[in-house]
Amino acid sequence: MSTIEVNKITPVSGGTTVQVGESGDTINIPAGATIANAGTSTGFGDSLRPNAQALIINGSMEISQRGTSFTSNGYQLDRWSFDESTDGAVTVTQDSTVPSGQGFGKSIKFDVTTADGTLAANQYCQWTQFFEGQNLQLLKYGTSSAENLTLAFWVRSNKTGTYCMRFVKEAGGQTRYECPIEYSISSSDTWEKKIINLSPTAGSTTFITNSAGAIVNSNASGYRIAWILASGSDFNSGTNNTWTATSDRLGTTNQVNFLDNTSNELYITGVQLEVGEYTSSTIPPFQHESYADNLLRCERYYQVVGSGTRADNLMYFYAYNFDGTSTMFGAYNFRKEMRTGPSIDQTSGTNYYTFKCNNAADDFDGVNGFRGGIAGGEFYLSGGSSVGSSSAGQAGVVMGKNASSHVALVAEL
Amino acid sequence: MFENCIIKYQRAPDNPSNDKDCILVTYPTKEDGSYKTLIVPINNENTDYQAIQKWVADGNTIQEAD
Repeated sequence: MSTIEVNKITPVSGGTTVQVGESGDTINIPAGATIANAGTSTGFGDSLRPNAQALIINGSMEISQRGTSFTSNGYQLDRWSFDESTDGAVTVTQDSTVPSGQGFGKSIKFDVTTADGTLAANQYCQWTQFFEGQNLQLLKYGTSSAENLTLAFWVRSNKTGTYCMRFVKEAGGQTRYECPIEYSISSSDTWEKKIINLSPTAGSTTFITNSAGAIVNSNASGYRIAWILASGSDFNSGTNNTWTATSDRLGTTNQVNFLDNTSNELYITGVQLEVGEYTSSTIPPFQHESYADNLLRCERYYQVVGSGTRADNLMYFYAYNFDGTSTMFGAYNFRKEMRTGPSIDQTSGTNYYTFKCNNAADDFDGVNGFRGGIAGGEFYLSGGSSVGSSSAGQAGVVMGKNASSHVALVAEL
Repeated sequence: MFENCIIKYQRAPDNPSNDKDCILVTYPTKEDGSYKTLIVPINNENTDYQAIQKWVADGNTIQEAD
């Protein structure tokens, strides 16, 4: 075997491509050698991610444990929080309109039902995912090695124009930093894939690379990403693609008012967040996951204990009569460890639940107490309703008795 | 967030001296007779508890347990 020792191989004059070998040849890279890439590599299969699981949870919009249509602020589709303060109104639904050929089955739809064509200064509308700080330590914020981020998503709307993303590094005991980044919806009623790059030094700032830029390393909210749909003048003073230390810079003055007409609707799906800087041609594919895997990740924040509408889930939890009269306790092990000790979200009403014990049943409107940790807890009913068909110490089950009966655990950010 | 809600501490049935076992938030009754309740732990990491603390800081008061 002969050896050629050179430092550089370049194309002949006028050319741009260097070829090594011929079709069918094998190009060997010896053990211990490194291929260093400072440019763009293609044809090596999927790009590698430093994060094994998707950083965005429920980016496919498949999981919606709270229902499929919403008119109030708060968490709606799992992990996604909607918040609007305008004089208008938006109905949010889980929808089956999706970009063709991308493998998605669901999207989220925002439908303006009451218009607000003139926003007051303090009015806004945004849609957000919050992240536990401990899940984003790989971003290395707070150091000079802080990573670039790339956000990708599919969007479709009849309301074209400039929209803003809002990236927020939560204070976490230090300082909150925000960075708005504009993007455009160019074609009416057409699915478009958007790629948003965020540098830790956007706007030539050093907020994120200094120590106060660190993301809190705990189960508290450390970061959030929001889609701005409208922002009044109090909230649109951000500078595009520039980190700032001032809170509530939701967007820029270029942000459209999505709520200005009742014909406006907007769909989003396929949200992915990648560590590194990617383009539309280099972004790794969306990490599709099974419904069960997706649900399991969502259940760290919201778990349905029982719902009257689920025929296979009529038993909510085991319980026992505590004092022979009106006090009942019921134990419940969570299906997945939750972010923190949860609240109980319950739909109550006259005789919405029943305690079956001792060959009898005592109906009640709803439990009124709960205490527990991150892995399990104890419901209780005390005072008012009778559970006297049983004796103290006798055990039974609590079941939903109304189609609207619903008990869930909530540990959202 | 808590407009027209009744917000009240709950007493532990098995330890009556603990009159702040959790907080029961009862939302207004809807037309169909149903109503939402939120049972909130005394837990600073819980965002519902954080919201109640903010509600208290705004000048409101949690009712004592029965």
